[in-house]
Amino acid sequence: MEKKIGVYICSGCGIGDSIDLEALSALAGEHKAAVCRKDPFLCGAEGVARIKADLEGEGINCVVVAACSPRVMSDVFDFGPDKVLERVNLREQVAWCQPAGEEDTLMMAEDALRMGLVKASESEPLEPFIAEDINKKILVVGGGLTGMTAALEAAKAGYETVLVEKEEALGGYAKDVYRLPPCDPPYENLEEFDLEDLRAQVAGEPGIKVYTGAMVASVSGAPCMFDVEISQNGANCNERVGSIVLATGSVPYDATKLTDLCYGTSPDIVTARDLEAMFKGGAVKKPSNGQPVGSVAFVLCAGSRDPRHLPYCSSACCVESLKQARYFKEANPETPVYIFYKDIRSTGNYELLYKQLQKDGVIFVRGSVTGIDDDGSGGLVVTSDDVLTRSPVMSESVDLVVLATGMVPTSALGEPFKVQAPQQDGEPAPVASDAILVSNLLNLKYRQGPELPGLEYGFPDSHFICFPYESRRTGIYPAGTVRAPMDYQQARTDAMGAALKAIQCVEMVSVGKAVHPRAGDQSYPEFFMQRCTQCKRCTEECPFGAINEDEKANPLPNPTRCRRCGVCMGACPERIISFKNYSVGMIGNMIKNINVPDEYDEKPRILVLACENDAYPALDMAGISGLSYNPWVRIISVRCLGSVNLVWMADALSKGIDGILLLGCKHGNDYQCHFIKGSELANTRMTKIQETLDRLALESDRVKMEQVSITDFNLIPKMLDDFAEKVNSLGPNPYKGF
Amino acid sequence: MEPKNILLEMKDYIVEMGAETINWCMQCGLCTNLCPWRLVPGQTSEEFNIRHMQRLGQMGIEGFEDENILFACSTCGMCQNNCPRGVKIIDNVKAMRASIVGGGMVPAGLRPILGSCHANGNPWSGPRENRTKWQEGLDIPQFGPDTEYFLFVCCHSCYDPRSMKIAKSIATLLQKGGVSFGVIGVEENCCGESMRKVGDEELFQKLAGANIELFNAKGVKKIITTSPHCLWSFKNDYAQLGADWEVVHYTEILGKLIAEGKIAPVTKSGKKVSFHDPCYLGRHSGIYDAPRELLRSIPGIEVKELERSRELSLCCAGGGGRIWGEVPMGERFGELRVLDAVETGAEVLATACPYCVNMLTDACNSLNKQDVLEIRELSEVLVDSL
Repeated sequence: MEKKIGVYICSGCGIGDSIDLEALSALAGEHKAAVCRKDPFLCGAEGVARIKADLEGEGINCVVVAACSPRVMSDVFDFGPDKVLERVNLREQVAWCQPAGEEDTLMMAEDALRMGLVKASESEPLEPFIAEDINKKILVVGGGLTGMTAALEAAKAGYETVLVEKEEALGGYAKDVYRLPPCDPPYENLEEFDLEDLRAQVAGEPGIKVYTGAMVASVSGAPCMFDVEISQNGANCNERVGSIVLATGSVPYDATKLTDLCYGTSPDIVTARDLEAMFKGGAVKKPSNGQPVGSVAFVLCAGSRDPRHLPYCSSACCVESLKQARYFKEANPETPVYIFYKDIRSTGNYELLYKQLQKDGVIFVRGSVTGIDDDGSGGLVVTSDDVLTRSPVMSESVDLVVLATGMVPTSALGEPFKVQAPQQDGEPAPVASDAILVSNLLNLKYRQGPELPGLEYGFPDSHFICFPYESRRTGIYPAGTVRAPMDYQQARTDAMGAALKAIQCVEMVSVGKAVHPRAGDQSYPEFFMQRCTQCKRCTEECPFGAINEDEKANPLPNPTRCRRCGVCMGACPERIISFKNYSVGMIGNMIKNINVPDEYDEKPRILVLACENDAYPALDMAGISGLSYNPWVRIISVRCLGSVNLVWMADALSKGIDGILLLGCKHGNDYQCHFIKGSELANTRMTKIQETLDRLALESDRVKMEQVSITDFNLIPKMLDDFAEKVNSLGPNPYKGF
Repeated sequence: MEPKNILLEMKDYIVEMGAETINWCMQCGLCTNLCPWRLVPGQTSEEFNIRHMQRLGQMGIEGFEDENILFACSTCGMCQNNCPRGVKIIDNVKAMRASIVGGGMVPAGLRPILGSCHANGNPWSGPRENRTKWQEGLDIPQFGPDTEYFLFVCCHSCYDPRSMKIAKSIATLLQKGGVSFGVIGVEENCCGESMRKVGDEELFQKLAGANIELFNAKGVKKIITTSPHCLWSFKNDYAQLGADWEVVHYTEILGKLIAEGKIAPVTKSGKKVSFHDPCYLGRHSGIYDAPRELLRSIPGIEVKELERSRELSLCCAGGGGRIWGEVPMGERFGELRVLDAVETGAEVLATACPYCVNMLTDACNSLNKQDVLEIRELSEVLVDSL
């Protein structure tokens, strides 16, 4: 496209008082801007009208707005997809954080404009990727409470839905469920549960196509173009769908492993699921002799919160046991009921159920169960270390002991997809918490593996607090107990949330827009294949498994799986992966256009590559909060630190820039990276650049990476000043002036 | 350690004796933390843990019968008023005591007290005929059909020479104010509040039954009590047994008389006075303002509020039968209370309960603070100002 650049500089919000705008205008002229205008109120109706008039009258097709942060006024400065728009942040990151009228402040503004002009002149208008043969159907895998709810919700919202259930009848775990914990005030009475009604709703919903006795044999393709192979009764059928809700649920922890709780030593030691089935079947009897159950003890955390079994809390078992205890107390208030627990975790209104059971006279014993023994008369006695009396206690004889076993997500079953080499001592290597296990749920034809990567303990979540319902596979949303341990009510809510995410996905993807976190973005990575060396780094490192491979190891990108983070761009040693408005060359040229004064000016320059998700907003926040920081820094917003290509370091250092600071999100187990692995990958790559710097006799301290959260804005000035001081103490970059 | 056996029968027995809310307890331990026993050192403080005691009761596990544990609670109500589960902790204590005392296992120190109640209708081993001895020098009317109020004088003020002054000053004030009141006298029995709290339910029923019969036979409709313990018992325990009287504490009546100008205190001294809220007047009966208004009505004196006051008042340690307990010096709550007052700069620590006067006076003497702090009953301070 033939570029005609218009530069629009706003003098409002204190920008004009801080910066010599005449000097900036002159700079725009030097860079061959066709039009350069100043406006006291650019985001006002008149200001925007002037820009639009130039688009019409002057044929401007590339707009550089030098005003406030790109994080604000994005709706006002929107001139359509056929125009290139670049925002230069003069307000938050120059005028509001630097002393007014200073030479350094002007130099900072000039560099910001220079970089903006370079980026604008090298960007191309976005052409959204529109997939072929688009389909907006929602596939729900798993026909339990969550799956049925998700399918109903999606269908009610007007989306055709395909529901696949492996059993012959819908229901899953709920098939054996007798009643539910209280859902309504006063939260003391149990809720009736009508599975038949739920099944009838599903059957009566014309938008839902149900496959029972069926499995997902394979899923290929990408959002809005998933091809799903469903095997049912030995035959295979195909469905094309837009997005997927994974609702395969969990299974109770294998009680045969609970030898410490004497499981298997007596038929009268049963699991919570066994007991629920007894109530559902209407016959609650002692398994050993068929006699009625006159007393019962529940053992909570049976295998949960236990490093020998499941290290996590299974979340629902406390309330489930309270519910089952209530079954007994409702039938006969005199029935002795014991609950042995670690902590009663009955959150929210379930506290009132707990209180009700206390009022019902249930004996709650807090501590570790140390034994469940035959008392010689056909009954069982439970011994526990009671922390509340600081002594071991023993129950009276009970007829039945119920173990509240925890939840194991179906995604945690199966061997790791990538076989790990055994450790040197011959022990098997530990399975990484985010390993992909061959659990036979989705059977994805993805290069990185057939299922969703886990977050921890085999749950395929991707940090629920920051990114609810997201997994690391675009368009696939886990819900219910496969995502995290939860109870019936939460599972229903979860199903609704995931159904909405699935709908959001097909709507966005079908018009070529990205989903979370760059929701609405229409750029996507393009590969210049002639120069590809088949190194596999992009296919290995993409956090979302977006890139498949052909048999010759050429990358096969799937744009609708892509989240537009640019991790592939950061990884590519050949620099062949580019977005229309974000590429290795483009950012490299921005860096090369920073004005670097020679060493006698004593004005060092520091390149700050700031992640757009947290670090860049934190820098804005510093300005908004009136904090001032070092005037030597030159900030470039990057999509993720994972998109930082190491060649930029070379570009900056050979240009004579004295230091490089990378500001990104927290990485590691408790990561906050919006692209999960980006920040961590950047950290790994940084260790490599530092070795290179050492070899070049450049101090490795010149390059540093810091983790910044959006709330850390008050730490920004010190962070920048400390780094500037360090860089200054190293002396000028020796490559300055070459 | 051998496991202790959970005994559901024992637990059910305790519940039957009145610990109806013991199962509600979720063992958070707030009660133990708020307990005044945490503020003093010593063996009882180390052994008595109200959370633990209730835990034993919940499971019917032995170990709570020890005298130091079972009879330590002064029923001050600090824990009960703050319990997040609304557990009636004092009922639970009472029931656990009753489960032991009901079986005849009365602690040695309480035997003469309970015996005196059986024999004389008062816990102070005083002959019945001496019940009106406090009236000497005064002309106290007999309660009859024409008297509005029945003045019920606490046994403590009928028999304890120091405490008699309280009865005298209250009666004097009522007379000055022109209140129509009278006493019944020797036929009266102890209200039995403390007897019930130590777990002697049988004795309480005997005393209360006799009192209800007597009062009703005399035509009592309205009662003024000198002690907040009698007040609470008439309003709560007796109401459960069907008694239907209007019961007020004397501080409530006097407030009205002052407001109406029937009593007019004048400046006699310029002393600094602090008020100690008795547990059974404050936390248990919700009367906080009436005694303070009385103090403020006296011109010249300066009222200094204690740091721990009103709902947070610190117990004197005289309730729940503790008035008959033997506590070593240095472990008495009353000593902390006296120091509270001294620290506030008070010269007089006034209160409105004979048990409090008793406990605080002992504490003041044991600390040797008589020269800097005077322990007075509120009615005495008022009489002085007339």
